[in-house]
Amino acid sequence: MTDAAATIAAPPPPRARPRLLRKILRQPLGIFAFVLLVVLTVTVIIGPGLVPHSPSRTDARSILQPPSATHWLGTDELGRDVFARVLAGGRVSLSVGLFSMLVGLTLGLTIGGLAGYFGGRVESLLMRLVDAFMAIPSFFLILVIITSFGNAPTTIIVTVGIGFWAQMARVAHAEFKRFRHHDFVEASRALGGTHVRVMARHILPQVMPQATVLATLGVGWAILTEAALSYLGLGIQPPLASWGNMLQNAQGYLWRAPVLAIWPGAFIAVTVLAFNLLGNALRDVLDPRS
Amino acid sequence: MIEFVTRRVVQGGIVLFLVSLLTFFMINLAPGGPSSLIDMQSTAAERQARLARFGLDRPVHERYVTWLAGALRGDLGTSINQGLPVSSLLRQRIVPTVVLAATSLLLAAAFGIVLGVIAALHRDRWPDHVVSTISTLGMSIPNFWLGIVVIIVFAVNLGWLPASGSASIGRGFDLGDRIRHLILPAGVLAFSLMPNVVRVTRAALLEMMASDFVRTARAKGLVERVVLVKHTVRNAMVPVVAMLGLVATVLFSGSVVIESVFGWAGIGRLAIEAANGRDYPVILGVTLLAGAIVVGINLAVDLLYAVVDPRIRHD
Repeated sequence: MTDAAATIAAPPPPRARPRLLRKILRQPLGIFAFVLLVVLTVTVIIGPGLVPHSPSRTDARSILQPPSATHWLGTDELGRDVFARVLAGGRVSLSVGLFSMLVGLTLGLTIGGLAGYFGGRVESLLMRLVDAFMAIPSFFLILVIITSFGNAPTTIIVTVGIGFWAQMARVAHAEFKRFRHHDFVEASRALGGTHVRVMARHILPQVMPQATVLATLGVGWAILTEAALSYLGLGIQPPLASWGNMLQNAQGYLWRAPVLAIWPGAFIAVTVLAFNLLGNALRDVLDPRS
Repeated sequence: MIEFVTRRVVQGGIVLFLVSLLTFFMINLAPGGPSSLIDMQSTAAERQARLARFGLDRPVHERYVTWLAGALRGDLGTSINQGLPVSSLLRQRIVPTVVLAATSLLLAAAFGIVLGVIAALHRDRWPDHVVSTISTLGMSIPNFWLGIVVIIVFAVNLGWLPASGSASIGRGFDLGDRIRHLILPAGVLAFSLMPNVVRVTRAALLEMMASDFVRTARAKGLVERVVLVKHTVRNAMVPVVAMLGLVATVLFSGSVVIESVFGWAGIGRLAIEAANGRDYPVILGVTLLAGAIVVGINLAVDLLYAVVDPRIRHD
């Protein structure tokens, strides 16, 4: 019976694969961004093992050195190798970005989905909550949470995710509401499918393309936000390096070593740019309505 | 129309109430909340006295009611670190923030609308691509890093503009001096806001250009310039203005960071100082104020929208 439900409930057949491939090939910027992100991820995972310097070892005899053959990007005010720190910081920044997005995505899809699917009182209650979260500028909300719950890396991941979930919930709400009365939903219900099954097996796949686009852009936003928090001294705490707290450090040496402030920021900018380009390309490929 | 206004005002009130509930309970029930400020080394009597001084000896829901009643009268409690009433701190710090935010919004709107119109008129040709590149950069470059870079270029290397503060110290009010201090932070903030304006302007304009009344205007032989300026751009401005309400939230988040980069003594900076110093009454006050401003702007935009477009009132 479940098989029958799945057959009847199946949405319009997916577009033929060659067309999808052709669509992807028409997005050179997106492909470039994707490759860049893969390279970046691999580099920050295996890179620190290949660099001869430790990101945290200080060296009083070589502080604030310009880039050289031994220190590719120079050294900071404590003689630490900037390249090693950029790689170590990248690990932190990328993982915080990725996991925050997952937190926001899960929260947003669940709450927005429930609101859109059930409608009525559940909907108005949950969506007022979403409105309240949207009314607090995300950064203030994040400040409130961090002031209350401290700034351990896990707290920061959850916090940044919470800054992002409301937006996701709005989209999920609209989409679940749109599909709520579609024939394939009613068919599955009539065949005895539970609400959970209908939501997870039948509606969720319809929402995934849009959610993927938003999530990709969300990683970029999360990386920016974590960097801003760490830059303000509220995020990842030294000695753990993150691109944001490296910038905070560097601001103290703008007059003596301005180049220190360039690298971490450039890495943030390139990474976020790549996520934005990838997100835009995905939107063109996956979202038929735009 | 009266019904519409009442409904929107009530909705705004509910949202604001939820904001206050959310922030108050989050701060007060957290493990590291205000009660952790009470020194563990002190004697029981001293601790009791301090708890009583901050009103922390009463249950949290009672404190919330007291706090909310005070907030409605404009009394947001006293700053723990500065010993001043939160409301007077906010009053003092809101002015620089409004100056910075309004300037940035104006710049972002002006450049954003012009670029959005250019992009839409040259859809899928090189001007469109250039504009979209600029706005993608605006979205991706961290504004605090851009702030640091412009400080390095214009303050450290060229020495043209001051690196921080909102006025030179020890001088009276000097408009030229104020403007020189405003250029860098407002420019950077505007650059990060602009992509929103560009995107909405371009989309709205493209939609208008495909609409029936624009085709009619062309068909009846109106000069292309008149069609564009009088029919298309003017109508496309409606969603753009509506979107400025959304930009206000982004603007607030952005100004928190930019105020810190440029040592600008506004409420964003106040929020960071309070967060670093665990000054709970101030954090609460700043968040409530930010929420109120955002709700207020959205309300104003909604009402304005309903005046311009009567269809909105009936949904």
